[in-house]
Amino acid sequence: MEFAAVVLPHLDAAYTLARYLTRNDADAQDVVQDAALRALKYFGGFRGTTGPDGRAWFLAIVRNTAYTWRHRQQGDGLVTQFNEELHSDAGTAADPAAAVDLRQAIDALPLEFREVIVLRELEGLSYKEISDVTGVPVGTVMSRLSRARKRLQEALT
Amino acid sequence: MTHPNLEPQLDAYLDGELADAERRELESHLAHCPECTRFLDSRLALRSAIKARIPALRAPDTLRRRVRSLQRRARMPVLWRSLAVAASLAVVAFGGWRLGRQRGGGETIADEVFTSHVRSLMPGHLTDVQSSDQHTVKPWFNGKLDYSPPVYDFAGRGYPLLGGRLEYVGGRPVGALVYGRRQHLINVLLWPSDRGAAGAATETRQGYHVLHWATPDYTYWAVSDLGLAELREFEQLLQQADSAAAPR
Repeated sequence: MEFAAVVLPHLDAAYTLARYLTRNDADAQDVVQDAALRALKYFGGFRGTTGPDGRAWFLAIVRNTAYTWRHRQQGDGLVTQFNEELHSDAGTAADPAAAVDLRQAIDALPLEFREVIVLRELEGLSYKEISDVTGVPVGTVMSRLSRARKRLQEALT
Repeated sequence: MTHPNLEPQLDAYLDGELADAERRELESHLAHCPECTRFLDSRLALRSAIKARIPALRAPDTLRRRVRSLQRRARMPVLWRSLAVAASLAVVAFGGWRLGRQRGGGETIADEVFTSHVRSLMPGHLTDVQSSDQHTVKPWFNGKLDYSPPVYDFAGRGYPLLGGRLEYVGGRPVGALVYGRRQHLINVLLWPSDRGAAGAATETRQGYHVLHWATPDYTYWAVSDLGLAELREFEQLLQQADSAAAPR
């Protein structure tokens, strides 16, 4: 299978995950490009074991790249500021205020909760696929997802 | 009463992630537990709120372009491996490329052809169309050049076709064909002869041989680190193929 056939169809998903993990458009683009480069480098290691279409495989690389990026940012003392721009295009919903609130609530989640919410609610991955992407057992995915939803509900009431 | 310990199961139930036995067990519990039913309702409300209020994100076009441009590199490693081109070659190529650049303004065609060869050895620059099939490579030039360069495959003679790319020589886009010989690469640049046959020439620079010849139809340049004898043999193959195809 061609590298492009595995990576290009999942670029939106990759960008979405990176955007929520970095909370910043420019950083998300850098992370995805870097991840694509890594995917290219390790493409020989893609055997379709994490799903035939490579989505989980590529998203796992995106996630690891975002975590590395985050460590580097923190190491440099450059903790990225909460990005208002991320919320600027949320006004399309019937109730813009509620849309912003929900988005802020997702952004405010701790990283390990945020990623399972994005992978499940926005990208529709199965628990098994989320486990493949995050490297935590399916049981942990299940409990994290439940706690993440609880936090979102609490934040919205 | 509430069943907080059931919450992950209830979420998994909504997500369709419970095995049949677990699902039946939970459903019989739900049948007489209004608390857990309310819990499910609140989760469904959250789910529809997310669907309604969180717009799907699209990767920006700039990112899409950047990732697409990596594609060309994706094809390279296999080719590089198959040709067993060592890293040292890249170093030689880089040195040669710098020398080529220092010549500056008054570049001759030979300079440009040589530079094109050295540049082609850098990762990702060898071919725009990678194929050993002449019937894939030849049509690839359609619409990119105002001529259709003759493309042959001499795999049977030990000079397999590897692909083609566009070059810019003498102020115009020209076709470049890449042939292989064991671990060596041969770049062939050709364009229609405009002022009759321009004569033949041989040059050696920095370990590369540059051959030039012309047929009634085409001006040819070939560059390689291949030994001169073999490069001449390759030139003969091309000339024979051209004259065999001549009455077109």
